[in-house]
Amino acid sequence: MTDAELIARAVVGSERHAFAELVRRHQSSVRACLRRLTAGDHGLADDLAQETFVLAWKHLGSFRQDARFSTWLYRIATNCWLAHNRKRKEALLGDADSEVADGEASDEIPGSGATSDHARGSALKLDMERAMGCLSEAERAAIVQCYHNDLSHEEAAYVLGCPVGTVKTHVHRAKQKLKAALAAWAD
Amino acid sequence: MNTDPARTDAPDDWLERALAADAIEHRAVHVDDAGFAARVMGALPAPAPLTRWQRPIRWTLAGVAGAAIAAAVPGFAADVAREVFRAIAAQPVSLASVAIVLAAVGAATLGAAAFVLDRD
Repeated sequence: MTDAELIARAVVGSERHAFAELVRRHQSSVRACLRRLTAGDHGLADDLAQETFVLAWKHLGSFRQDARFSTWLYRIATNCWLAHNRKRKEALLGDADSEVADGEASDEIPGSGATSDHARGSALKLDMERAMGCLSEAERAAIVQCYHNDLSHEEAAYVLGCPVGTVKTHVHRAKQKLKAALAAWAD
Repeated sequence: MNTDPARTDAPDDWLERALAADAIEHRAVHVDDAGFAARVMGALPAPAPLTRWQRPIRWTLAGVAGAAIAAAVPGFAADVAREVFRAIAAQPVSLASVAIVLAAVGAATLGAAAFVLDRD
C-alpha cells in the first residue's frame, strides 16, 4: 500500500492503523534527520520526532500531496527543531556564551601513513560533526536537507520555508565555514 | 544532489567528497523503531467524542432514515420477513442445527465487536 493510500485511509476513515504504518515507514529517516540537526542528541531528537508525528496526524488533512510525504515530514521536523531552539534561547537569554558552539576542528591531521582508511574516516566523521556545530541553524538545516536527506534545492526550500536562492546561499556559506573548520583535511 | 558530477570539478573537491561520504553513511543508518511508533500512537490525541446534543440527533436521523425507507417501499419489509420465515420453516429443524446456528451467530457477533473495538 502506498503512502498516498495510507494517508487517504487515515484522513477519511480516521484509521489509526494506517497512520501507525506511516510512522513505522518514516520514523527512521525523521529521527536520523533530527539527530543530525540536534548534533547527536538522541533523546531530544526522539522527543522532537514524536512531536513531529503528532503534528502530522493533527494536520494530515491539510497535506495536499504537492510534495512527498517524507519531505512534508522533514518540514514539520525542521520547524519543531527551530521552535525548540527559539524556546531554549529565550530560556537562556543573557547567557550568550552557552549558545556558542565550539566549531574548531581538531588541529591534528589524521591520515598519516600509519593511520588506516577506516580510522581516517572515523576521525573525519567526528571532525565533521564538530564543524557542523559552528554553522548557524539555517546553514546546518540547509546542509542536512541538501546532503544528508538528499533533497533538491527546491525541496529543501519547501522544507525550510524560504526561497531557493536563500537555500543556495545557506549551503554556500555553510561550505565556506566547513572548509575553514576542516582545513586540516584538505589534500 | 550529492551525485552531481559537476561538483567533483570544484576546487573544494575534498569537502564535497567528505560531505557526500558523510551523507551516504547517514542514509545507510536505519534507526530501529524500538517502540517509537507505539509511543507516537499513544501520544496522539483521542478522537473527539460525540457531544451531548449530537447523540440524540444521530439517533433521530437514523430513525427518520429507516422510517423513510420503510415508507418508500410499502410491503417490502413484510415480504422479506415472510419469505425468510417460509425458507426457515421449510428446513427440518433439530436441536443440533439450532445450537450450530446460535454458536455461529454468537461467534459472528463477538468477532464484529472485537473488530469494531480494535478499530476504535
